[in-house]
Amino acid sequence: MNQPLLRRWSGYLYALPYLLLFGVFIVAPLLYGLGLSLFQWEMLSRLKPRFIGAANYLEALHDPYFWKALGATFRFVVMEVPFTIGLALLIAVGLKSLRGKRQAFYRAAYFAPTILTISVAGLLWRWFYNSEFGLFNAYLGHLGIKIPWLTDTGWAMLSIVLMTLWWTVGGPMVVLLAGLQNIPPHYHEAAALDGATGWQSFRHITLPLLRPVLLFVVVINIIGAFQVFGQTFMITRGGPELSTRSLVQYIYDTAFNHYRMGYAAALSWLLFLVIAVFSLTQFRLMKER
Amino acid sequence: MDSRWKYLVLLLLLSASSLSGCRQSHQKTITLHYWNGFTGPDGRTMLRLVKRFNQENPDVNVIMQRMDWATYYNKLFVAGLGGRAPEVFVLQTHALQRFARAGFVRPIDDLAAQPGSLDVQDIDANVWQATGVEGKHYGVPLDVWPIGMYYNRRLFREAGIVDAQGEAKPPTNRAEFMEALRKLTRPAANGRPDQWGFVFTNLETNVYTLMLQNGGEFFTPDYSRCLVNNPKNVEALQFGVDLIRKYKLAPPPENYDAWIGFRQGKIGIAFEGIYMLADLQKQKDLDYGGAPIPRIGDHLAYMAGSHNLCLRSDLHGPEQQAAWRFLRFLSDNSLDWADGGQVPVRKSLRDTPRFRAMRVQSAFAQEVPHVVYLPRINFIFEFQTEFDTAVEKALRGSATPQEALDTAAANINKILARERDAEKEGGK
Amino acid sequence: MPREQTSRNQQNGKAGAKRLRLYEGMVALGALIFVFPIVLILITAFKPDSEIVHFRGILPQTVTLANFHEILGSPEEIPIARWFANSLSISTAATLLVLTVDSLAAYAFSRLNLPGKRWVFGAIVATMMVPGQILLVPVYLILNRLGWLDTPLALIVPAGAGAFGVFLLHQFFVSIPKELEEAAEIDGCSRWGIFWNILLPLSKPALATLGIFTFLGSWNDFLGPLVFLDSVDHYTLPVGIALFQTSYYAEYGLTLAASVLCTLPVLIAFLLFQRNIIQGIALAGLKD
Repeated sequence: MNQPLLRRWSGYLYALPYLLLFGVFIVAPLLYGLGLSLFQWEMLSRLKPRFIGAANYLEALHDPYFWKALGATFRFVVMEVPFTIGLALLIAVGLKSLRGKRQAFYRAAYFAPTILTISVAGLLWRWFYNSEFGLFNAYLGHLGIKIPWLTDTGWAMLSIVLMTLWWTVGGPMVVLLAGLQNIPPHYHEAAALDGATGWQSFRHITLPLLRPVLLFVVVINIIGAFQVFGQTFMITRGGPELSTRSLVQYIYDTAFNHYRMGYAAALSWLLFLVIAVFSLTQFRLMKER
Repeated sequence: MDSRWKYLVLLLLLSASSLSGCRQSHQKTITLHYWNGFTGPDGRTMLRLVKRFNQENPDVNVIMQRMDWATYYNKLFVAGLGGRAPEVFVLQTHALQRFARAGFVRPIDDLAAQPGSLDVQDIDANVWQATGVEGKHYGVPLDVWPIGMYYNRRLFREAGIVDAQGEAKPPTNRAEFMEALRKLTRPAANGRPDQWGFVFTNLETNVYTLMLQNGGEFFTPDYSRCLVNNPKNVEALQFGVDLIRKYKLAPPPENYDAWIGFRQGKIGIAFEGIYMLADLQKQKDLDYGGAPIPRIGDHLAYMAGSHNLCLRSDLHGPEQQAAWRFLRFLSDNSLDWADGGQVPVRKSLRDTPRFRAMRVQSAFAQEVPHVVYLPRINFIFEFQTEFDTAVEKALRGSATPQEALDTAAANINKILARERDAEKEGGK
Repeated sequence: MPREQTSRNQQNGKAGAKRLRLYEGMVALGALIFVFPIVLILITAFKPDSEIVHFRGILPQTVTLANFHEILGSPEEIPIARWFANSLSISTAATLLVLTVDSLAAYAFSRLNLPGKRWVFGAIVATMMVPGQILLVPVYLILNRLGWLDTPLALIVPAGAGAFGVFLLHQFFVSIPKELEEAAEIDGCSRWGIFWNILLPLSKPALATLGIFTFLGSWNDFLGPLVFLDSVDHYTLPVGIALFQTSYYAEYGLTLAASVLCTLPVLIAFLLFQRNIIQGIALAGLKD
């Protein structure tokens, strides 16, 4: 604080390139989107955009499709986040005990699905899940089992979560692995000398020391999960009976298929609100402990 | 990596990517941009047509862009807003009204009236009519894609559904249809059929056709009220439900890929668009045939759509002449287009040996005089969502046809009200 | 060490070794399950389309190069090399942009004495919760104004605005001991010097991690290219491959062959690349 004011402000020069991009491509669109949500703008008609205040938001709250999409997204988040983090942690712990080339090889194997683009991954899993002619039921059929992977409203979202696990667990896994490898080994050695079992060591030493990384991974994952779109769009198109249509897909449909721009903007802001509430809550919960 | 390398690489890559936009300079005087939603093999067929046009017309260079239909219309519209709209673009008939009323499309009556120009009489009357909005015509129909019947000839022969020559005999009316389905549905050892007579591949087109054949309606003539839940529609939808649940002649519908079952040779009959032909042609081990959909209801009606070639509204001068020349070229050569799985709307072209040799296209072409398009409304996509969901619910057994269609009608009436209010407020 | 301790350690060592092998066994099994679908794509790409539909078994009954032939044989209709080049250059450029811009900003927010730093940084991090789709239409209109639609710039430049990288690097910089900097300052090092000569070299693992995530995010981005690109020649791989699908069916053989051609090089590059980069990633102390 002893530095002259000019020198302190000049520090912003470092951040300037980023702030410029941030301003143009995030702040401006955000404000634009906020403004747009207060208008009625239906493209492809001769009507000019019309200011209607909070009417879009009110419509959303009374829109059964909004709630249905929100519900679908919520179901996805509730299933995907714990499974992904849990699985990522499990794999990371397993990998940690390996060394060098072996670890690198297995690490790449778990990360490989993330490299596939969604068009291909979606196509592949749609084939896996086809209840009449798909790979899974072809083999399960020998056991006399036929699972309605994508055709039953209960199973459909679960199937999408399963596919997402395969497709995305590599990311959190790599970060958690790094976090695990960063815990100085002497903590565990000391605990082993004191006679602690592996599980006790994990619970009382590893987990607490891992908390900051874990928090980061969980929050990022929640934020991403609420925005699910690619998988539901490619694999089920939101079916059956719109039961897997995520909120983002509903927003996309509203904007690009129904051409209702103002309404789509309002829906987006409602989604933001939901994400903010949940990620901040999670943040608080994990910090306190 | 050393920092100098980093920046060098950045430079190289940025220049590389900018180079990808460079095209070799042409001596051609007129460039036309042509946008459409033809992905898959259709797109490649169209691309070949464009290439031929460019070769035969050295003074014009048509650059075609294709993108998936789902985002196509929106990008077309916003491109128009930003002054980047293509000179020539394709609009499906059900989207034509919306774009025409928004002022993006140039009426072509004057161009068509030029002597020696396009012979409008040669185009199927009902298809040409459909491009009319408020008295003017807004596009040259390139084709019509009716929903017709594909059937597995081998399964028919095995089931004994043959004509005097022992060739597979497709059904032509309700009784024959049901009889065929009964013969074709074969239970497997564990009680589940491994071969079905019929499968619903596309819920929307299939049920819309059934409703049309039953004399169903969708809107009042002035489009003030939605009638999608009228008794005839309910009856038609109930027929579909019965096929699945009562008679068990069709499997409960998949969201996708029921078509795969037909390709695998496990389905006797499927109602699908002519555009699926390109996919069938890849299935070398399938002996399939095409025929008009049997007359299941009292009315002769089949659902269809059309691709129309449209011009940007501000087109004039030499560009307009060149674009018109291109449109005529495509129309005159619509047999090449038909090869990939389309039905041309030029009657003279259909009356040729070459077209008659296209078995499936010729069979589907018999439906042309009785094709019916989707309702002429602005909010067609929202209508489709409501209609598709209602049909899906009924066929899956989550709701009765009456319930499902009632919900759809209620929702659609709400949308109608919304549109009406908006029109009133916004003026014009 | 007393004898009993040594022998107990030896016993623990033996049990530990068995446990390790068990772990490795499970890890290997899991890895196999994860990689299986990718191998399946590779194998299936060599089947003719008609056989893919039947699925008579995992291995092809007829091995054919027809799918690859069709993809590579018509560059005008299927400019797959173009798509690959576009994806590669766009993703690389976006990654370099993000690394450059974000590291500078993270330095400023973590190490420099900026007025109002907390508020600005807090606002930046808060925007991470904004779903990208909120921004889609406004960004589209802005890009239209700039004339960048249908150019690589539309996909590269907005990528630099993301808050994720700034947040990540900030957390990392904050964990580097201050003593190093203070010593450098005493030696007369400028702010730039500290950034360039001390922070950056120490941050290689974090930069590498951010680089990989940014590259993959850009590589797999589907919605952006779908909406911002119009010309088939400018498409990136995800959108290009999607051209093999119509509204009603997908051309399986071609899609799989295309994805093999495009994914395999990246996978191999990653295999070689990651050994040097990810090893020893130390995301030490992601404190808040």
